Amino acid sequence: MIGRFGRIITFEMQNKTRIYTVSQVNVLIKVALEESLPPRLIVRGQISDWKHHTSGHCYFSLKDENGILPCVMWASRFKSVKFSPGDGIAVLATGHIDVYTVGGKYQLYVDKLEPEGIGALQLAFEQMYKQLKAEGLFEEKYKKPLPKYPMRIGILTSESGAAVHDIRDSIFNRWPCAKLFLYPVPVQGEGAADEIAAGLRDINRRNEELKLDILIVGRGGGSPEDLWAFNEEVLARAIFDSKIPVISAVGHEVDTTMADLVADARASTPTKAGVTAVPDMQEILGQLTYFEKRLDSTVRTELRLCRESLQTLLASSVFRNPLLPVRDREQQLDDLRTAITDSIRGLLAQALRKVNGSHEKVSKIEPYRLLRGNIVSLQTLEHRVELAMQSILNKANKSFTDKAASLKDAIAGLLADVRKQLQFNREEIARIRPEGVLRKKTVELSAIDGKANAGVKAVINKLQIQLTAQENRLVVLNPRSVLQRGYSITTNKKTGRLVRKLEDVQIGDLLTTELAEEKLVESKVTKKQNRGK
Amino acid sequence: MAKNEKKNDIGKMTFEEAIKELTSIVGKIEQGQIPLQDSLEQYEKGMVLIKHCRGILQKAEKRIEKIVEEKN
Repeated sequence: MIGRFGRIITFEMQNKTRIYTVSQVNVLIKVALEESLPPRLIVRGQISDWKHHTSGHCYFSLKDENGILPCVMWASRFKSVKFSPGDGIAVLATGHIDVYTVGGKYQLYVDKLEPEGIGALQLAFEQMYKQLKAEGLFEEKYKKPLPKYPMRIGILTSESGAAVHDIRDSIFNRWPCAKLFLYPVPVQGEGAADEIAAGLRDINRRNEELKLDILIVGRGGGSPEDLWAFNEEVLARAIFDSKIPVISAVGHEVDTTMADLVADARASTPTKAGVTAVPDMQEILGQLTYFEKRLDSTVRTELRLCRESLQTLLASSVFRNPLLPVRDREQQLDDLRTAITDSIRGLLAQALRKVNGSHEKVSKIEPYRLLRGNIVSLQTLEHRVELAMQSILNKANKSFTDKAASLKDAIAGLLADVRKQLQFNREEIARIRPEGVLRKKTVELSAIDGKANAGVKAVINKLQIQLTAQENRLVVLNPRSVLQRGYSITTNKKTGRLVRKLEDVQIGDLLTTELAEEKLVESKVTKKQNRGK
Repeated sequence: MAKNEKKNDIGKMTFEEAIKELTSIVGKIEQGQIPLQDSLEQYEKGMVLIKHCRGILQKAEKRIEKIVEEKN
């Protein structure tokens, strides 16, 4: 450095009237700046003339009340800027000053740009919030209703984090019948938001086959930088576009991310995901039991009411006393008959009284004088009475006949009903055929009888054989059976004892000898001696 | 035969569908607007639905399956 500086001085001293090219001057300035300025500096100012070129590089100026400083920020550096720079934003720009020889100007080469006052992330958040809100992404009308009983639940989170266990436990504690599907994604660092967003779109595309009812996107707590992926626009849009309802479950209670704002529902932490996403199974089981009870009691009540009204009907007089209308008519008939008889009697008595009256009058007024005329008028009178009586009788007779006929019809109708019922009963009985049943039973009975008989016979036969055996043994033991073999039994007729020894008989005794087959021989003792002597 | 078909239908119902049907049956029967014969049929159907729902709730594998990105 010192050497180079020295070389310039020498150059100047030797060539006082030297002419420089533009490039040479620019190099001189470049070197002078390099030598005298700190290699890295932080500049405070307000952005103006902000241009984000299609190449990705940014060109702008920083200014304050008195001056302006041209700046450039290469795309590679700009990538890590979270907020959107723009005119009027107060910033701190870090970089170095160099000469842009082509443009003939010095400028600040910025490698870090931060908003002044508030943090970059916070500013970025506020900017994104404004933009998405203006587009309507947070509006209530776009929020999809969550299914009441989700059975297949997709979870997008890190496979290795604690969040996946928290979410799983919080769901299974309430709703163990659900099936969970983990879609592993990175949840922090460069590119995480892109991967989560791609995952959301992938699942939505495949949901014909996956059939997920609901998706949970989340991660556990961490620094604002750790959670940043959930603030990125690409993820917010993917959540908004999802056809499947999305629940966000990011960080701690206090953290609010863009994902939380745009999701259809938000769980404040992964451990609360279950409460947001699924119902409590115990509660639903209770509801089912309640339904069951309601159904049961309603149907029971209805049945009881029907049974009661049937009972009431059966208890009514029509069923209890079907002949009552007939009896009523009979009574009516009797009443009528009495009334008719009475009225005819009355009429007859009246007519008789009239005739008697006339008779008296006739006898009072010198009948012979008036006889001629009176006989005629009497005859007329008699004839009129007769006619009147006839007409009264006719009328009475007719109404009596009419009433009797209608009664007869009614009784005939009732009788026909009763007869029909009787016939029906008879047919019922005929259909059942009691005698057929009886016959069948008799056959069954005789079969049983036959079996029983055979059994008894077998027993008797067995006993019979045993009996014969016993008999044979007895026969052998019978002393008389010895007679068959030629032995005989001899009894002294005098003593009546069996002859066993010589002393049992005396000469001249009569002996009775019993042979086989109950033959007897009588003999007399003539000699007594021992054999062999 | 028709009864069996009905049972199969209920067997294929999702929990949500079954609960919806059940709620409507309970409402219908409680209003008492349907004849006894129908309400007995509905009662029976309601009981089958309750059984189906309980069956779904008590089928708990508590497993977490992994789905991966489908590259196309």
